[in-house]
Formats: sequence, C-alpha cells, structure tokens
Amino acid sequence: MAADDHRNGDSTHHHRDPKKPRLSEFLTDSDIQSEFAHHQSGVARINNGSFGCCPSSVLAAQRDWQLRFLRQPDEFYFTGLRRGLLASRAVIKDLINADDVGEVSLLDNATTAAAIVLQRVGRCFSEGKYKKDDTVVMFHCAFQSVKKSIQAYVSRVGGSTVEVRLPFPVNSEEEIVNVFREGLKRGKEDGRTVRLAIIDHITSMPCVLMPVKELVRVCREEGVEEVFVDAAHAIGSVKVDVKEIGADYYVSNLHKWFFCPPSIAFFYCKEGGFESDVHHPVVSHEFGNGLAVESAWIGTRDYSSQLVVPSVMEFVKRFEGGIDGIMKRNHDEAVRMGLMLCDAWGTNLGSPPEMCVGMVMIGLPSKLCVGSDDDGVKLRAYLRVHRLVEVPVYFLGLRDGEEGVKDKDGGVITAYVRISHQVYNETGDYERLRDAITELVKDQTTCKNLPPV
Amino acid sequence: MASLSPPEEPAAASSYHHRRSKRYPSSTNGVESVPEKRHKISLPPPPPQSISNFISSSEIESEFSHHDPAVARINNGSFGCCPSSIIAVQRDWQLRFLRQPDRFFFDELKPNISASRAVIKRLINAEHDDEVSIVDNATTAAAIVLQQTAWAFREGRFDRGDAVVMLHYAFGSVKKSVEAYVSRSGGEVIEVQLPFPVISAEEIINRFRTGLELGKANGRRVRLALIDHVTSMPSVVIPIKELVKICREEGVDQVFVDAAHGIGCVDVDMKEIGADFYTSNLHKWFFAPPSVAFLYCKRSSGVGGGNLNLHHPVVSHEYGNGLAVESTWVGTRDYSAQLVVPSILEFVNRFEGGIDGIKRRNHESVVEMGQMLVKSWGTQLGCPVEMCASMVMVGLPVCLGVLSENDAVKLRNLLRERFCIEIPTYFRPPGEGETDSITGYVRISFQVYNKPEEYHRLKDAVNELVRDGFKCSSLSD
Repeated sequence: MAADDHRNGDSTHHHRDPKKPRLSEFLTDSDIQSEFAHHQSGVARINNGSFGCCPSSVLAAQRDWQLRFLRQPDEFYFTGLRRGLLASRAVIKDLINADDVGEVSLLDNATTAAAIVLQRVGRCFSEGKYKKDDTVVMFHCAFQSVKKSIQAYVSRVGGSTVEVRLPFPVNSEEEIVNVFREGLKRGKEDGRTVRLAIIDHITSMPCVLMPVKELVRVCREEGVEEVFVDAAHAIGSVKVDVKEIGADYYVSNLHKWFFCPPSIAFFYCKEGGFESDVHHPVVSHEFGNGLAVESAWIGTRDYSSQLVVPSVMEFVKRFEGGIDGIMKRNHDEAVRMGLMLCDAWGTNLGSPPEMCVGMVMIGLPSKLCVGSDDDGVKLRAYLRVHRLVEVPVYFLGLRDGEEGVKDKDGGVITAYVRISHQVYNETGDYERLRDAITELVKDQTTCKNLPPV
Repeated sequence: MASLSPPEEPAAASSYHHRRSKRYPSSTNGVESVPEKRHKISLPPPPPQSISNFISSSEIESEFSHHDPAVARINNGSFGCCPSSIIAVQRDWQLRFLRQPDRFFFDELKPNISASRAVIKRLINAEHDDEVSIVDNATTAAAIVLQQTAWAFREGRFDRGDAVVMLHYAFGSVKKSVEAYVSRSGGEVIEVQLPFPVISAEEIINRFRTGLELGKANGRRVRLALIDHVTSMPSVVIPIKELVKICREEGVDQVFVDAAHGIGCVDVDMKEIGADFYTSNLHKWFFAPPSVAFLYCKRSSGVGGGNLNLHHPVVSHEYGNGLAVESTWVGTRDYSAQLVVPSILEFVNRFEGGIDGIKRRNHESVVEMGQMLVKSWGTQLGCPVEMCASMVMVGLPVCLGVLSENDAVKLRNLLRERFCIEIPTYFRPPGEGETDSITGYVRISFQVYNKPEEYHRLKDAVNELVRDGFKCSSLSD
C-alpha cells in the first residue's frame, strides 16, 4: 500500500496507518461476543491465564490450514508448510524485536522450551563442561513442569538448585531484585558457578509481573552463565522486547494471551542458538540444522496452530490500538475489577497495579478458612460447579514467624484468587465471583463445610 | 526426504505445463502462503448410514471427498488419510476443550485418553494398560526409547562402545535420533545392509544375524536392536518375529520395533512379536487425523527397573508417574487426535471384516495393481508378494534413466506437476558389476479410497514418458 503511494508521487494521498482502521471497522461488543460464542454460556470465565482463548475467525483460518493438509498432504509438506511457518516466525520476530528470524523457533508450548534448555544444561554436566554441584537458580514459584524438568535433566546429572522465595504479597520490584541477588550469591557459594538462572517474566501462581530486565542485569553482574526467561504469559499481556530484556533464551505461549488455538509458543535464542547446542528433543532428519529448522519438522503433526499467526494479527488489528490497546484495556479492567473485589471482601491485592498485567491476585476473606492446597482445590471446584465461576485459587502457606497480611475482619489472608481479563470478559463475570464469595462468608461456610461437587 | 524445488521452476518443467492444464484440472500450486480462497474447502457432513450393514462405495467416496479430486493419490504410506466422520468427531473434541478448557482439563481429558489407550491395548494384544502410551508419532517414540538408551550409556550401565544395531533402511529421522542420543553418549552404531530387491525373508534373516555378530565383536554387548516392521524406503515387510527371536538367542538387551506403518497395515500382536518396545502411527493406516501414535513398552523391560526408566522428553508435572501417565500431559496441547481412537474403531467396523478385512483387501489390491504395472512396464516388484502389505515397490523402466537420488526426486515432481500423480520414487544404486539393472522404483500404496484408474493413470504416464524418449537428465534441478 505505502509503496504504491510513493510510486504515484501523490503527496496528498493520505496513507492509512494499517494499525488504525476506520472507527466503524473496529469490532463492536456484539462482534466480540460472536467471536467467542463457542465459549460455554453462563460461565464466568475469568481464568484466561490458564488456557487462553481463540476467536472463531482464527479457528476458521486454522481449519483452512488443516483441510489444506488433508486435501493433498504431500504437496502441503513440500511447498506450503515451511513457507507458512516462516510467515508466522516473521510476524513474531517483528513483534518481539528480534534481530533475525533465525532466532525465532516455533514450539508446542513453554514446557517444551524448558526441556530444550535443560537438556542442553544436562549435557554440559554429563560431558564435563559444568562441574558437579554447579547451580541452577530459580524462583520457588516457578511452574511445576519446569521444576520437574530441572529434576529430570539437571539434578539427575549432579547439578544443584537454589530456589529463591518470591516475596508475596509483594510491594515493590526492589524486594524481588534484592531477594534474587541473595539467591545468586547462595548459588555461587563454595566455589560454584551459576550456570543457569530461570526467571519468569510473569509468574503463574502467585501471579506477579517481574522486573525482568533488572533481574537479567543482576544475573550478568553476578556472572551467571546463561539466563532463561520463562514468559509463558507474556506475549499479548505485556510488551516484549527481547533485545532490551537481554536474556539468552526467552519463551512465550501464543495460545494464552495472543489468540492462537492450542498450541503454539515461540522460543527466542540469541543468535539462533547455534553455538549453544540447543536441540529439539524429538529428533528428525533436520537434526543439526539449527533449532528453528529442527522445530519446523518433528515428524507428522498438525502444524495448523503454528500457521495462523498472520491471521491473529488481522484479528487484533480490528481492536482500537491493536494488541497494545488490548493489553492496556485488559490491564486496566483487571485492576479495576481487582479493586472492586478487594473492596467488597475487605482484603488486598497481591501486588501493586503496576506489577499486574491482565491478571490480578486478590486476597480471599480469612473467614473462608483456606488452610491447605486441598482446600484451595475444593473451593475452586465448588465455584466451578455450584456458581459457574472458573477461577484458580492459590493457597499461601505462611512460614514460621511470618505474620501475613490481615483482612478487614482481622484474620490472616491465606489464599488468593487470580482473576484474568480478556476481551470477551464482562463486569458481570467478576460480580458473580464477588457475590459467590460474599455469600459463602455470610452463610459462615468455610472450606471444611462446602457443599460436595 | 530431500527438499524439493518449488513448482514454479523455469525451463524444462514449464514446457509440460500446458499439457497438464489440457488434460487434468489444475490443483493447488502451493504458491501462496495463506490458505487459498478460491477453494472454499468445506467438509461435507458425514454420510448417512446405508441400509446394508457395511459401508458402500459411494459412502466411502463421500468420506474422502475432501481429498483433491484431481490427484491420483497413491501414496497413503507417507501421510495417511482421515475420513470425514472422524474429522467431525475430532472437531467435537476440539470444541469441548475450547468451550470450557479448565473443566475439560480437570474432568474429561484423562479418562478419555485412557479410553483410547484401552482400545489400542486390545487391538495390539498388550497385556496391561500401562504398557500403552500415546505419543504424537513414531519419531517421538524413537526419541523416548533412545533417550533411555543414552542415559544407560551416560550413567555407566552400558559400556562405551557397546553396540546399537539398526537396519540400513531405517527411517532418516530415526537414524538422526540414534546419532543424537546414542552416538553422542558413547554407543557404537552398526547398520545392517539389506538386499533390495528382496528375494526372500531368509536373505534378511541371514544379513541380520551377521549384523548382530558384528555388534558382538570384541566382547561388546548389543544393547539395542532397532528394527523396522515395514521399512519406509524401499518398502518391504521385515520378518520381525524371526528377527526378535534371533535377538533373544544372541543376548541382545532390548529390541525396539519401529512400526510406523504397523497398525492397519500388518498384523500387530505384541505377545506374538515379543519386542520390548513397539511403536506405530495411527494416522498412516488407521484413519486417525494427524497425529497420534502408540508406544508399547513391555512391562518387564526397561534397563534397571521397568517402565519407570522411560520418560517423555517434554517433562511436565507428571514426571515420574510412568511413561503412559507422563505422556497424557506434555503441556497445553490439542489432544483431540488422541481422543478419536474409539470412534475410529466404529468406523473400521463398518467395513466387512473390520480392520483385518481392510488390510487383506488393501494387500490384494496393491499386489494386483503392482503386477499390472510390472506387466505393462516390463519391470519387476521389489519383493515377493508375501513380503508386502498395503504398499509395494514397483520397478520403473530402465530407459527413464533414474541415475541418482536427485533424479528420483525430480521425476516425482514431474509426476505431480504434469500428471497430478502423487507417488514417492526411490533410487536403487546399481550393485557392483550390474549393468542395465532397474535403478528407479515407485512405491504404490492402496487404501480404501483408492481406485484402479489411479494406477492406470500412473501406468499411462510412465508409458508416455517412455514413448517420448524421456530421460531424467533432461529435468533441471
């Protein structure tokens, strides 16, 4: 479009910024509801963070790709597939400010990326490049799959781990940076080297937006060999600039906050990871051609979810401000709803608004007596089955000597809900949660005497 | 597979284009990078059940009407097929997740994967449910088994230099996996050369025995034998039961059968075959959508204590709960292809004789078509008819001049672009002292949607090339 204008030499022709369609081209509320009409009606779906969502226009694009393969799979394999994957990777490269599309690989999910990074670290231990007991440092709230992956690949071959306890509720970025620095120092005790630091860009449970740039900087200062940022929730939640962040490895799922169908993640490796010997664990004939190429063929699969990224860009452009506008409105609404809830319940937010994204942690009333992880699970199931509210519950186990934060009734807050806001959510969704909890408290129901599900 | 040149190449190939458009309706050129709009491809609703018990020919046509009608699709072996009834079931599963994913994850996913595993266990005559894990494809299964072998080398349970024996015709991805996991951790790889064309099962058995002896030379142990049930290229059914027996006689630690083409193609009976590990894709010959495979692990196997030593490489919170459970959750994914297995059983039972009837008829048809081609071209099959299942290698006329792998690839492209025939080609290097031997083969497949006229089209296309004095050397790269 722009090129044509310049060739015409017509300076009076106003080229429309593709980010700004005419106002009437923006999706209306009813358009949006229509795009998500396949969501179960009657459910207050305030947990976009766990499994994301996918609008029907993108699902339709996905089906086209699926049918193309089924129609003539050989032809698709030899011509359409790689081109389609490259187109998706090019879109992502621009979004995240990577230098080269070779630095962007497409994977199934962040869990796969963790296996890739940790397998490589494991090989370094096995092959004698790293010394026994050299450390991997991470936060204690790192995703459970990542912790298991560390066990499977690092602990098994003699690496040691240091877990840094994330302060929560958290009041400032400084608290996090300080405790992390302490953790790195622990990792270096007794002549050890910290070979890998794993940092969440946005922790899952409890959910906090981390000062990731700062933390990476501290890693470099403290001589950490490599930094892996697990940003499962990042793209579509917060601005992602991989050069600014400066990590060696960075992964984010696109099916959480970027409207892709399950499942697709991008994995950024500085300089394509050629020197760092990263490989896809499912080895195909592309082995040795670089991770991006290895990942583009891991045997016969349905690659359609990786091919719709350009279609997702079309979708987000139909919102005012594009993906940036969506992110801002999700954040603002999540915070607004979060404040509404803690006001109604007399509790607190888990972090200040500037340390939230489209997800917010809100303290549950102490009177619910959430005393364990099991209680949290029971409460979640109750809300799902009896109140048609889908929201994850986090049990905050206090350690000895910790006082905890008190709610308006003077009881200690032991649990939080994590609310999400995505474009399909409405205020009524959060009011339903508010009322469900308020009623439990009013009826003096606790986790011990919830109705069975 | 070598990457091919895209269809829009200049020079020699283009001179054939006008003939293609005259003779056959043009199919997609694959030029665009977004789904092409001119084909409003929509899936027809699944056909209503016919009055008779069994599925009719027109119902079968309807089930596969999403296939490109212009293409003679005689390569089921590479990517398989999926009937529209099953695609519809898969869509239901996908929508169930999208509708309320948390509830699906907590309440529905696991029990339904278990249901699929139970169906597979019965189909393959496994002893226990936990012997059956569902994975994406045979490539993934290979990574799982080979990773286990690599750990044993790294942790000193195997000595450096101990051998892993595999067939020279093993699938390219599997060879790379062996390099990545076994060679890298200190294992020695022995490739057993098999003859092709194959005259008898004896030849293969003898060569394999020799390969094992080589593996055991100098007091080494053969830690793993990796054997194809049906080789991919060139395609032959391997006498797997005999080879497993020999492995036991010769003290091989573990036997891993790569049966990517197994279920729905050959008889797959775990107890009869007796391997430690056996993997097969369901999306090739068992009508599943892409992609789903099973990995069978005999309970008593596993170095140093059973199945707990095998792990899915994508580690999730299920780590340590056994491979079958680990494989049920490898992070957020679309698991729908794994959930349609019970529905597939319903589909195949609409055919007379069920999956066994389908196998038998596919075999009879592919042999009939193969012999028809051989007769017309004056060539030969790549193996005796009892050593093929639903695929067979058919020799191409020598005068076409297939003199390299590149020639074979170019010829394949030509058949696709000019004649709308989808068929893989194979270059068989001439043996020492051989003159005028057949160096080019095609691998024809037969599946329920195929028709004799597709093979006649192939026959005619090749005969036309022969008449025109065509040589592969005339094709540009």
